[in-house]
Amino acid sequence: MPKIAPLSSIPPPARSSVRPLTYVDHFRLSAADLRAALGAALSSGGDFAEIFMEHRSYDFITMEEDIVKETAEAVSLGIGIRVIRGDRTGFGYTNDLAMDKIRQAALTAAAIAAGRTARTLPRPLRDRTRASSRYLLRRPASGASLRRKIGLVREAYGAALDYDPRIVKVKAHYSDSLRHILIANSEGLLVRDTRPMVKLVCAAIAEANGRRESGYCGGGGRTGLEYFDETLEPRAIGAEAAREAMLLLEAVDAPAGEMPIVLAPGHSGVLIHEAVGHLLEADFNRKRTSIFWNKMGRKVGSELVTIYDDPTIPSFRGSYNVDDEGTPPRKTLLVEKGVVRGLLQDRLSSRLMGGAALTGHGRRQDYSHWPLPRMANTYIAAGDDAPEDILRSVGRGFYVASLAGGQVEDSGKFTFSVSLGYLIEDGKLAAPVKQATLIGTNIDVLRRIDRVGSDLAFGLPTGTCSKEGQDVPVTDGCPTLRIERMTVGGRT
Amino acid sequence: MRARGIIKPGPAQAPPLRDVAESLIAYARRCGADEAEVSVVDGREFNVDVRRGRVETLVEAGSRSAGVRVIKDKRTASASSSDLDPKTLRRLVRNAVRRAELGSPDEYAGLAPMAKERVDPAGLDLYDPAIAGLDSRAKIALARETERIALRDKRITNSYGASFGSNEIRSVLALSNGFVGEYAQTYCGLGVGLQAGGTDDRVEDSWSSSKRHFGDLETPKAIARRAVERTVRQLRPRRVRTQNVPVIFEPTQTAWLLGFLFGCVAGTAVYRKATFLAGRLGTRIGNGRVTVVDDALIPGALGSHPYDSDGLPCRRTVVMAKGVLESYLCNHYAARKLGLESTGNADGGGVGPGNFYLEPGEGAVPPGDIIAGTKRGLLLIRTLGHGLNPVTGDISRGAFGLWIEDGEIAYPVSEVTVSGNLGGVLEGIEAVGDDLEFHSPITGPTIKVAEMTVAGQ
Repeated sequence: MPKIAPLSSIPPPARSSVRPLTYVDHFRLSAADLRAALGAALSSGGDFAEIFMEHRSYDFITMEEDIVKETAEAVSLGIGIRVIRGDRTGFGYTNDLAMDKIRQAALTAAAIAAGRTARTLPRPLRDRTRASSRYLLRRPASGASLRRKIGLVREAYGAALDYDPRIVKVKAHYSDSLRHILIANSEGLLVRDTRPMVKLVCAAIAEANGRRESGYCGGGGRTGLEYFDETLEPRAIGAEAAREAMLLLEAVDAPAGEMPIVLAPGHSGVLIHEAVGHLLEADFNRKRTSIFWNKMGRKVGSELVTIYDDPTIPSFRGSYNVDDEGTPPRKTLLVEKGVVRGLLQDRLSSRLMGGAALTGHGRRQDYSHWPLPRMANTYIAAGDDAPEDILRSVGRGFYVASLAGGQVEDSGKFTFSVSLGYLIEDGKLAAPVKQATLIGTNIDVLRRIDRVGSDLAFGLPTGTCSKEGQDVPVTDGCPTLRIERMTVGGRT
Repeated sequence: MRARGIIKPGPAQAPPLRDVAESLIAYARRCGADEAEVSVVDGREFNVDVRRGRVETLVEAGSRSAGVRVIKDKRTASASSSDLDPKTLRRLVRNAVRRAELGSPDEYAGLAPMAKERVDPAGLDLYDPAIAGLDSRAKIALARETERIALRDKRITNSYGASFGSNEIRSVLALSNGFVGEYAQTYCGLGVGLQAGGTDDRVEDSWSSSKRHFGDLETPKAIARRAVERTVRQLRPRRVRTQNVPVIFEPTQTAWLLGFLFGCVAGTAVYRKATFLAGRLGTRIGNGRVTVVDDALIPGALGSHPYDSDGLPCRRTVVMAKGVLESYLCNHYAARKLGLESTGNADGGGVGPGNFYLEPGEGAVPPGDIIAGTKRGLLLIRTLGHGLNPVTGDISRGAFGLWIEDGEIAYPVSEVTVSGNLGGVLEGIEAVGDDLEFHSPITGPTIKVAEMTVAGQ
């Protein structure tokens, strides 16, 4: 029987030697400058103004065709200014930090309020930067030598290539970034954060008898290079990509039609991200486009289903000290025993929903975008069932081992794409199955979750979520789950 | 309307983009680079979202960025920045030259030799001066008008809002071999997204028009009507049982299928063996109805441009002729790896399309005739999710459609999937519509595929 490794990543325990990364002020603007810009932003009568400044530096390494093909470095610097008046938002940005350019961006954003004079003045700024950090790291990637990083890429690449002679092509890619942000708003908030990120991914292609298949694996988070010693070694990333490609060489076509589904723990959290998380983002509920907008406090799913989004898990890809509006985040209960309990809030939706409590989920891709309510680390809480019992309970069905993403629309129709699955026969895993898309309606699927395992795990930590053209890093998690039936998009 | 306070952008300062690019090339050479490539982009963006009659967001901004690639001893390193401070740019160039030493020598690395011919950007009609002169209020009014017309239809129960956006982009590319290219281009777009039905049985769709020229945009009325019609036709969907049937792709759906094909004929995927079409050049991969072209020289089209990011002139390439794979689409690097010639498709480090489309050909018929000639099948109108694997050509996507019985549309269908293989789809194209339009860089007409699996109950 093939072994299913969930490859979950458990964050390293907090250590006393861990210190927050030093904040480097790339903006060199005084509190008086910031307040002057906020004043300009409010000059047409806005209710609220906010400055978001960002300096980000990245390193990239790509290895393919047995060579370190390219290294790259990138710098992103800019300022975004937002003004809110009632339900309207004005936004301007610039990557020229000269005071006159900042003032121009502020006036552009200010125009949304369309008044002749200011109605509100910015309050004095008070620095609320946290002294502690959720980004646990001992060996920051930003300070490490490129040689060391290239070593990681070579290790993953080599492990994939050496896995089997039928592995014909490998690509390994490393990236890290360090992002210094500063947020200041007209309510007097000033907060800074320095966010690290590392990521190493590997793709392998296996070829035999004229057939080619690909496998993928990756790891990383808001941590340092010690991750690749302690949590997930580059070798394991390369070998897992190769293993998946090799398994798929033997895989059969996916079945087509409705059948019982068992989801592997970890990466299958994509299901919850799509089926539930997006539609509990406050903006879709405020606008009443989400199927959940009128279901707060109502039972929509099985009693076994409890869902959280928690941006405070140390060093996870989706975690942060403050959100991109400066709000400290908190673990947010979304669904409790099948009942809708909460929304993911940002400032705008909270204001327009009568001052609903902020949850710290206002996120943006970068300075050139305004914040939206977004997920961070979304998961379905562990249940009581032993994972083996769940598998054993299915006579014939489909086992989802790894996923390659999903999509949802506001009606609750959602898909997720399986990159590797197995047929279940007599309660056991049988032949591996090629990629297939599963489709369902969220409320039907939530009702049909009838077994929840005790083995909560988080998936491959390289996920990115897209909404309205903005990408942000996220993590998803879930324990082994059984869904009574769902449509599998295979072939007959 | 309360937009009187909106500030118009000041007169654009003559941007010395070319100077920035050329001085960085010279600096890279001084730092020891054998070859260097610099691109600089200066963009202005305007976007307004209107929802339920009110301006929801208004964005106006200008930004610049620069990209650098250096090659030293056949080793490549690159850098990019949105900080155009000369000190930052010089540091990035110095770092890149130093970093190149840590890469591996690559016999295929290096700039493309400068081409003898050049395409005159003026002949491609990429820039509309009218866009810079548009009044913000007029742009807001267009979005408002589009949504207002759509919401007049009583079957529409909610709105995602309407948007108008425009971009003005100037780019310069300079290479150490002496090539310097420069051109300006514009884009604008107007669209609206809608919902129909109640909270628990809602359906959604949208329509938008995007063009390089403001005067070519569809009218608010045309966009609103199209969006309404596309949304309400999905009301009260049924599910169908799992079966193999003919699938008719609307042009919006042919577009993603061709996007998938584009990824499979990209030279960069071919040398990585990351496409099922690797090793298939010159062989039949589809039936005689399938001719696919990439043409970056269509005046005014969204995918047109004069030169690629290698500085090579863009051109028209026949990718598939009557079912035979005639050409991969390559940048200079992929072409050298594959022993082929560049097709002028370099785009950053990868390969990008010009205008990539399926030609309707001589046998093309009106899409209505294709439906009328189908006894039973699915007219595919929307898809959800990813489900495309270039390595195998496998397709499996969530689908929304209209069921066809006896040549007529019978009822909408949702919560099904369509699956097949791109190779099988290209072999199985039974009919091609005469409705090709250049809505986006990758586009196609209605097509009918003989058989795919529709999975449902």
